[in-house]
Amino acid sequence: MAEILVVAEHRRQTLADVSLQMLSKGRQLADQASAELLAVVIGRNVDGYAQELARWADRVLAVMNEKLGESLAEPSQKILTSIIKERKPSLVLMGHSSFGMDLAPALAVELGAPLATDCLDLFIGNGSITATRSIYNGKVNAVYSFIPCETLIVTGRVGEFPIEDWDKQGEIEEIDFPLEEEFNYKQFEGYIEQEAGGVDITQAEVVVSIGRGIKDKEHIELAQQLASELGGVVACSRPVVDYGWLPSERQVGLSGKAVKPKLYLALGISGAFQHVVGLKGSKMIVAINKDARASIFSLADYGIVDDILKVVPLLIQKIAALKG
Amino acid sequence: MDIVTCIKRVPDTSDADIIIDASQREIEGDTLAFKINDWDEYALETAVQLKETLGGSLTAVTVGPKEWDDVLRRALAMGADKAIRVDEDMITADSYMVAGILESLLRSLSYDLVLFGAQSEDFGSGQLGIMVAEMLGVPHVSLVVSLQVQDGIARVKRELEAGALESYTIELPAVLTVQTGINRPRYISLSGIKRAMTKELQVLSLSGLSLSQEMLAPMVRLERLETPPTGKKAEFISGSPEESAEQLAKILQNSGVF
Repeated sequence: MAEILVVAEHRRQTLADVSLQMLSKGRQLADQASAELLAVVIGRNVDGYAQELARWADRVLAVMNEKLGESLAEPSQKILTSIIKERKPSLVLMGHSSFGMDLAPALAVELGAPLATDCLDLFIGNGSITATRSIYNGKVNAVYSFIPCETLIVTGRVGEFPIEDWDKQGEIEEIDFPLEEEFNYKQFEGYIEQEAGGVDITQAEVVVSIGRGIKDKEHIELAQQLASELGGVVACSRPVVDYGWLPSERQVGLSGKAVKPKLYLALGISGAFQHVVGLKGSKMIVAINKDARASIFSLADYGIVDDILKVVPLLIQKIAALKG
Repeated sequence: MDIVTCIKRVPDTSDADIIIDASQREIEGDTLAFKINDWDEYALETAVQLKETLGGSLTAVTVGPKEWDDVLRRALAMGADKAIRVDEDMITADSYMVAGILESLLRSLSYDLVLFGAQSEDFGSGQLGIMVAEMLGVPHVSLVVSLQVQDGIARVKRELEAGALESYTIELPAVLTVQTGINRPRYISLSGIKRAMTKELQVLSLSGLSLSQEMLAPMVRLERLETPPTGKKAEFISGSPEESAEQLAKILQNSGVF
């Protein structure tokens, strides 16, 4: 294996954590396979990013172009295609972020390269690579192999690969990449930040969080009662926002907020990784769910396998009684 | 405006026990219920709403065996005019193969907009729509949470991390992959179901599509399924709801939560 290439992404002058996670995994694999680790970062002014990436990478390609402010999929695809065709890395790694999700499948088709997305782990053995993915609501892991190929493309699950500290001081190579294409068919119009809402769930000491298992908007009142009994706030997983039952400012997870309360009480939440990523900072996690196989139980400190609509009203009573 | 929505049928695994079968490559399906992929239902609702305001046609498409007709019937009941199923069991296929089949089919159809769910509930790789866009050579936007179409231009917002969005204008024809929560998929009425029975559901075979042999060989192969490592396991509180509530209240009190 000659080279492993990690595609770094940045948004609003910040390098994405997931890129450092991918570099850490890439560093491990490169050392194991005696390969070079190459990082590529693309943008208008990427010096700062390049220096940071050089802590992990043996070589950083800092691709400069005046037209490229942020990490946008189409220009990145053109530039990466050209770099990959020239250097033929055995493996291209990037995060399964909104950026990677938009870019990787198109890049794979353009290059004719096999692709595995949202991977939990990667193994190199006997010159070939296998990738593990999580399927069926996290209840099964699937191990994949690939046909012999020049380049394999993999996106890694956000938050799954710990960032390891390195100080490689890799070489930085600046490349000026003229782009003739204007990408007029697709215009980036800007970012929209979430409006600050009335309740900041990130500062709460107790978070009572509800998921699909709450079943009906009317039952949210139960969670509110429990939260007020515990001096906490009500938050939720994605389906509750999708149904329009709570505003998005209450959503915990990858596309929502990260919380770090003393107690996270997960009611009727299955534990999809997109949600779990946002609650890992909690000191104590309690889950109530009627599905004993729900993956939330492998994260929780305490679990009750039962219907939340039966347990929660009783729990409110018991807490009120104990408080006296 | 002509819209094509690509949908799939998935097992409902949310509250089910999933058992890996003896081959270690499939799960036991006998006890599972099957449904339309969640993301695809949002994509269909998006398409039906666009058709209602802009007129034109809506075609629902899937690649799968006969049982998959039920999700196409559902699409027809929601408001699709026509459905097409490419009759092929894609169980050993990778996204490339399915994308190649859809590309070939789409080239024979008229479309301004092709909508996909952003990912599937079962395998969740999120590749298909973007691959099809690249194969067709049309622009794409993934993870769409808002969409307006006017004069051949789509204004879309797509979801990023941590509550942020980004907005694009994109020329049609285009492929969009739709994120959940973009709308509230309608309930299907009895009259909708009756009407769906009279609509056209076309079945095509692979041989009717011009596909190279290369397109029909997977690049990604499933080696085996495994039960995920459990990691740390919760300490389970057992008993009746009354008993477990009592015990949990005490644990919370002893931990200083209140």
